[in-house]
Amino acid sequence: MNSQESSRFTAALTQRVAEDANSRQIADAIGAMWADIDVALQPVLGRRGVAALFKRTLHLTATRHPWLAALKAGGADSAVDLVELTELFAQQSPAAVAEAGCALFTLFRDLLTTLIGDRLSERLLQAAWSTSSRAAPAQDPTP
Amino acid sequence: MTSKVTINRLSTGVPGLDDLLGGGLPEFSFNLIAGQPGCGKTTLAHQIMFALATEERPALYFTVLGEPPLKMLRYQQQFSFFDPAAINRSVRFINLCEEAMAGDLEHVLARIAQEVAAHEPSLVFVDSFRSVVLATDAGGQAHNQLQRFMQQLGMLMTSWQATTFLIGEYFTDTDANPVFTVADGLIWMRQSVQRNAMVRKMEIMKMRGQPSLPGLHSFRISGNGLQIFVPALETPTLPGAPTGSRASMGVPGLDEMMDGGLPRGYSLLLAGPSGSGKSILAAAFLNAGLLNGETAVIAAFERRPRRVRDQTLAKAIEDGRLGVVESHAPDLSIDEVTQLLSAEIRRLDARRVVIDSLSGFELALGPSFKDDFRESLLRLVTSLTAMGVTVLMTSELEDRYTDLRFSPYGTAFMTDAIIVQRYIEVDSRLRRVLAVVKVRDSAHSDQLREYSIDDDGIRIGAMLAAHEGLLGGRPTTRPPGGPAREG
Repeated sequence: MNSQESSRFTAALTQRVAEDANSRQIADAIGAMWADIDVALQPVLGRRGVAALFKRTLHLTATRHPWLAALKAGGADSAVDLVELTELFAQQSPAAVAEAGCALFTLFRDLLTTLIGDRLSERLLQAAWSTSSRAAPAQDPTP
Repeated sequence: MTSKVTINRLSTGVPGLDDLLGGGLPEFSFNLIAGQPGCGKTTLAHQIMFALATEERPALYFTVLGEPPLKMLRYQQQFSFFDPAAINRSVRFINLCEEAMAGDLEHVLARIAQEVAAHEPSLVFVDSFRSVVLATDAGGQAHNQLQRFMQQLGMLMTSWQATTFLIGEYFTDTDANPVFTVADGLIWMRQSVQRNAMVRKMEIMKMRGQPSLPGLHSFRISGNGLQIFVPALETPTLPGAPTGSRASMGVPGLDEMMDGGLPRGYSLLLAGPSGSGKSILAAAFLNAGLLNGETAVIAAFERRPRRVRDQTLAKAIEDGRLGVVESHAPDLSIDEVTQLLSAEIRRLDARRVVIDSLSGFELALGPSFKDDFRESLLRLVTSLTAMGVTVLMTSELEDRYTDLRFSPYGTAFMTDAIIVQRYIEVDSRLRRVLAVVKVRDSAHSDQLREYSIDDDGIRIGAMLAAHEGLLGGRPTTRPPGGPAREG
């Protein structure tokens, strides 16, 4: 796993949630981040195209976080159910959610990079990152 | 007010395509790129898109069914024209898979209209259009529905002032397809296999309002995308090309035989059997130019030019005073060689060109180009001499003693000058003779002169006045002082 990517996702995640956030809040943040990526990629790759990539990512992530395996099922055409995803995440401990979420995004980015290269992946995901930074919650900086 | 509308022509960025289209792509035109799978349609579309799209003139690329966008992006980015930084800035990809899968053309059209309104593109691509058609579920009404769809799409794009390309797989060009009627431009791409070589060709079957070049034109796809080889008919004369003067042949005595050398801007055919010293004479011709401070280009198809034995020529290649054109591509066409030669001539501002030999050249061509060898060769010679360079071509001549032929291609008429070399048998020895057969508008020699080849090259000797019937291969000795044989 690419550690630079991983820390970037952690940073994006911590931007969205407070330090003492509970599992539900982290899960919602992950869901929102995923929705942003989905919005950025769908016009280019198509709904099915993005869904296929995400399912493959889930499959890869589930090898280290077996509790994610529950989400793997579903037809080839169906998109991943975000509600179901956040529900599943919300049931884990905050640390486990953060770690699995980070793994999920990093693996997704790695998969995309393998297929269309780093520059193009970065370019396509840029819209999602800018949404993320816009969505940064107003909060006091930690001293 | 009688002023007519001026149609802007866009430069496509595809080498050769603007010439082929008759001066560029008409702005706001509605075009179709058609051809079999794998012939380079998507690559052509991408190449045009990345060349033309700017932030002020953005492009929308609709992907429909067929090639998944992920795959398309993966492969297209291998080309040098693909610029990831342009994506979502001047180039936007939009997937219409969902709409197309629903099988309703109205839906597809509505979504295209919606995206066009949102982004106001100057360039629109729909890839592949064929899949839109195949996805329609019109129950026998497909033809009508498609025609309506085409009409509306054409209208929509024109009113939004978007130059549009539909990309589609078509296998025959004879279908009475409504797409073909509505389109302003029809670019047909083909690949044909003959014997062992595959050749890609492009044809502009239709381009409204401008004189596109008719016929099939070969193109190649490399890492830089497509390159189309367009016949060079009107080549501007190189600035400073000397006219009126004569170029020395570099062989003592030969210039005199030619009334002072080969006139500049002439083409010379040097015909002779194997081993008669054609390449040596050609090398002498090049050397004479180099000594005179001229630059030259050699297209060598027979021996490997890098292994030129002539030290002076080898040195000139090294110094960049002698350019080398060589290609071993299996789909080589004369138009491509013409283009390679012209480029090299321009680069070096060359004055002399040698093609050694036409026989090797013909062998090097892709099989499908051999049928048109004569026509294409005429174009090559015409365009080279039009540039003002002096051309020498060698041709392998089968030594026949029953007829006098100068080249196997009937190429003799198209050159301005001809020198022929022959073997003759005298005193049980194979000896060589040469003659200047033709130099247009010159009082050239009519002598048949013996010549020999030694370390210094070709040495022209005297006429074999004591013999006659030389061209028959077996001359007879004429008794001294006796009358010439009749007949």
